[in-house]
Amino acid sequence: MRGSLVFYHPTTLQEAIGLLGEHGEEAKVVAGSTALTILMRQRLIAPSVLVSIGAIPGLDGIEERDGAIRIGAMVRHRDVELSELVRARVPVLAETFGVVANVRVRNAATVGGVLAESDYASDPPAVFVALDAEIEVRGPGGERTIPARDFFVAFYETALEPNEIVTAIRIPIPVTGSGTAYHKFVSRSSEDRPCVGVAALVHLASDGTCADLRVAVGAAAETPQRFPNVEALAVGQTLTPELTGRIGDAYADAIDTLDDMRGSAWYRTEMVRVWVGRAIETATDAAADRSAPG
Amino acid sequence: MTATDPSSPRTSPRPVDGEGKISLTLRVNGSAERVRARPNHTLLEVLRNELHLTGPREGCGVGMCGACTVLVDGRPVSSCLLPAALAEDHELTTIEGLEGPNGELHPIQEAYVEHTGFQCSYCTPGFILATKALLEECPDVTRDEAKAYLAGNLCRCGSYVKILDSVMDARDRVRG
Ligand SMILES: Cc1cc2nc3c(=O)[nH]c(=O)nc-3n(C[C@H](O)[C@H](O)[C@H](O)COP(=O)(O)OP(=O)(O)OC[C@H]3O[C@@H](n4cnc5c(N)ncnc54)[C@H](O)[C@@H]3O)c2cc1C
Repeated sequence: MRGSLVFYHPTTLQEAIGLLGEHGEEAKVVAGSTALTILMRQRLIAPSVLVSIGAIPGLDGIEERDGAIRIGAMVRHRDVELSELVRARVPVLAETFGVVANVRVRNAATVGGVLAESDYASDPPAVFVALDAEIEVRGPGGERTIPARDFFVAFYETALEPNEIVTAIRIPIPVTGSGTAYHKFVSRSSEDRPCVGVAALVHLASDGTCADLRVAVGAAAETPQRFPNVEALAVGQTLTPELTGRIGDAYADAIDTLDDMRGSAWYRTEMVRVWVGRAIETATDAAADRSAPG
Repeated sequence: MTATDPSSPRTSPRPVDGEGKISLTLRVNGSAERVRARPNHTLLEVLRNELHLTGPREGCGVGMCGACTVLVDGRPVSSCLLPAALAEDHELTTIEGLEGPNGELHPIQEAYVEHTGFQCSYCTPGFILATKALLEECPDVTRDEAKAYLAGNLCRCGSYVKILDSVMDARDRVRG
């Protein structure tokens, strides 16, 4: 990271977008810099212009609006983890941000950063996909919203156009009677990135059958993996161990798992099988607790 | 950027001098320090090489070990990952900032000495700063909570048991 480098600290989104347009491929947005500094030091990227978005007002709030929690792009992981609002409304989100890396990385890393980085081995993306979150982005052409399931395109690749900036993410608050879970399975040390991460949402009808199931598996393939056709197996059914086992098997079959230092493809497939079942069980228990009278 | 800085680079770049350096004002351990640094220098490099604060050390260089921990507005971060240019306008605290006016040790430091919560001590400044942030956030912290919070600080000598003893004693000293 010893080439020439120029820093900009714009104070409006328009200025930031303009700078990205002006410098094209040479420019990068910088937020918490936890990913960027490493990429530059390893010479995987060598931008000559860094556009810090930390001085732009309006990117750092967490609020409830229209049945969703809206989190600004510059909000740090640790602030999502500790937010009373998030803990009350979408507890699984606070829990998930709380298991990322270590406290120092969580104090610096931002919500926009984890989205734009699109690292296959990050934790929050699976939860965003399972909860049908929507990502707000701003570019030269104005604002648009991208569903989380369309946002993560491939390894380190998102649906962002060049010179678009993530401004916020909206996470719909799960309906009453639903339970959620995120299971992070690590294969090396407690603060490692996930070998496999599974996010689940279960909505139980008043008769105890499953009204809605959503399961997204992270870190197993290039992008978070979700299979509506498999989720549909649960609808109208009682979530017995036999049924959750079948859903785990179906996810294990459907995902073309990858190999890395956290686990071989074969091992990941077996972990997907196990952890999909466990995440559904935890979410089901949470849903049952929440719908229990009193 | 400070609002008073006439060269405030918003749509204009931060000015670079003949040696390719930018000038920065960092608020470290209570005093404002003006330094020149390359735009790609990390806070760790500037603290050590320009300000000669050698408490923060480079261990892994990728945010995993905690040897370079610095408090930014009271919160621990890895200074090896933070570009110095992004550290302006924040209160920075290194281990050097913990001692009293006459060089007295901070109660957390006393607890670490008392329990020999270190062997080679390379990781110690990071552990002590993380302990400080932990106790501010959670004055009644339990041993298990401390263990979870400090899981990302690595001690290659393996002094973890004594480090946790030190943290528990530090809690009692700070709480009074
Ligand atoms: C030691 C370590 C351990 C980690 N462990 C985990 C883990 O267990 N789980 C996990 O999920 N993650 C983990 N991470 C990843 C970490 O969470 C990411 O590095 C972080 O989320 C990136 O956020 P940032 O704000 O620092 O992004 P930056 O480094 O500032 O930017 C990352 C990328 O996103 C772009 N970008 C940033 N913000 C925006 C925006 N608003 N709009 C458009 N583009 C933008 C940048 O241009 C850059 O390409 C770990 C990282 C480290 C260093």
